Amino acid sequence: MSDSFVSLDKLSLAYGQSVVVPDLGLNIRRGELIALLGPSGCGKTTIMRAIAGLMTPHSGKISIDGRDVTKVPANKRGVGLVFQSYALFPHLTAFENVAFGLRLQKLPAAEITAKVEDGLQTVGLAHLADRKPAEMSGGQQQRLSLARSLVMEPKVLLLDEPLSNLDARLRLDMRTELQRVQRDTGITMVFVTHDQAEALALADRIVLMKDGLIEQLGTPDELYNKPKTKFAADFFGFENILEVVEQTLVGDQGRLPFVTAQRGGYLAWRPGAVSVGLGPYRGTVRGVAFAGEQREYVLEAASGQIKASTPAADPSFGIGDVVDFDLPLKHALELS
Amino acid sequence: MNTRLASRLIIGTTLLFLIGPFVIIILAGLSAGDFMTFPPNGISLKWYLKVFTVESFRESFALSMFLAIFGTITALILGIPAAYAISRYDIPYAETIKTIVAAPIIVPGIIVGLALLRYLVVPLNFTVTLALFMAHTALVLPYAVRVVSSSLGNLRSDMEEAAVLLGCSRIGAFMRVILPNIQSGVLAAFILGFVTSFNQVPVSLFLSGPGVRTLPIDMLSYMEITYDPSVAALSALLAFLSVAIVFVAEKFLGFSRYV
Repeated sequence: MSDSFVSLDKLSLAYGQSVVVPDLGLNIRRGELIALLGPSGCGKTTIMRAIAGLMTPHSGKISIDGRDVTKVPANKRGVGLVFQSYALFPHLTAFENVAFGLRLQKLPAAEITAKVEDGLQTVGLAHLADRKPAEMSGGQQQRLSLARSLVMEPKVLLLDEPLSNLDARLRLDMRTELQRVQRDTGITMVFVTHDQAEALALADRIVLMKDGLIEQLGTPDELYNKPKTKFAADFFGFENILEVVEQTLVGDQGRLPFVTAQRGGYLAWRPGAVSVGLGPYRGTVRGVAFAGEQREYVLEAASGQIKASTPAADPSFGIGDVVDFDLPLKHALELS
Repeated sequence: MNTRLASRLIIGTTLLFLIGPFVIIILAGLSAGDFMTFPPNGISLKWYLKVFTVESFRESFALSMFLAIFGTITALILGIPAAYAISRYDIPYAETIKTIVAAPIIVPGIIVGLALLRYLVVPLNFTVTLALFMAHTALVLPYAVRVVSSSLGNLRSDMEEAAVLLGCSRIGAFMRVILPNIQSGVLAAFILGFVTSFNQVPVSLFLSGPGVRTLPIDMLSYMEITYDPSVAALSALLAFLSVAIVFVAEKFLGFSRYV
């Protein structure tokens, strides 16, 4: 494929006897920021380690920029990795941490200095060049780790849970930072995360993983609005997912009659798609919250809990009220 | 009697018990008389000075220093990779290996000494110096492995992977990233090994030959013939040396973290 920069072909990854990733095919485009998303144990970190060369695939092929690198050792692969723990060298200053890889390349001293200063500048740490990692904050350490990888001009930069160790405000800073760096350098980036919000906010495309398999691959828009499976819908916070069984909808408490041509699978409604006040079903209001533009309800129906929201201007109901509601087929999302 | 007084009494008695012999030795060495007595018979520094003129003390001191320094360095050269392997890799029977490595400090020195003499030195016709060197290396090895292991345990393995991804070989990553970060542990192991080797008696007792004796053994045999205060003076000097080493190590390395 012409637009594939990193390609994983029939990749199988295992730790001893336990197979983590059975058969993976994935094409990552040049200059793309792609997220490997999934719950812990889904194989996302393993895939990242395989791309970096830190683990040997059981079978299959990894190529980067048209070159088969499956057997190329990690130190010759030209792949950068920003570790979740940053993995900085505690005995070296910020400057020397960034210079580490360049010194190994035996570049002229002046060139190293220029590159390191440039790298520190990029992540906004130029003023802390003489500090040791222990004397820096978590956010600064993270950016230092990023700079250390960036100065190597890797073909691919891997990031392991890049935002998970940061507090909420730093997380937003770092997110902006990563996007800016990616835009400025054009480096292909793959980041691993278990946080769907992080993936939605950052990535050009998201690879949703489950049990070592790709559950769905697409843009944030596609995954958020058109999840294809129950797992994907669940993961992206879809409410009201009901199984279709013989003209009924089955929830965790019970079932609702439902007329559909569909014979199996799941149907899902976002809270806004549920109409309240009119319809064939009946539910008791268990919770109501005013959220500015709209009012959010938790209804208890025969199938279980249904979450609904109505425009704030609509007539409102109180806790304990019994209300009619509808799950309109035309607003339903079909899931497999 | 209130508890405060009682606790002071207990602490005082304990300290007296621990430090008392040390004080007695220092004072006995200061005696002006010709025999080791306590309290000392007059005060003079002559025995402290005499120590340096005894030829056999000088030779055995040199041998002890040689064994302590090179035995410990050899033990570290063997022990650091062992500690690294045990703490980094999932080695089968790692616990058993650790126990075997620790054996020389668990098994009584007399037995180690006899075994080395009977089954190594005699049948293989090793020189006494070589046998002593091997024995001291073996005795220090457990400390080297243990102390280095504990300082490796505080290091995350992803640091090495980071170094590899920046272009290092595995060995390069160890030399550039791991070693600098465990150097205080290695130094602590060296000091501990040095002191252990230098003060070693039971094993060295078996492995002494004509003109080849470590300092403690030499002091023992000197005392069998001459009961003058010079051995007390020498003991005091050695004790001061040990205290100084440990004091400096604690001040600069936080030695007590590793032992």
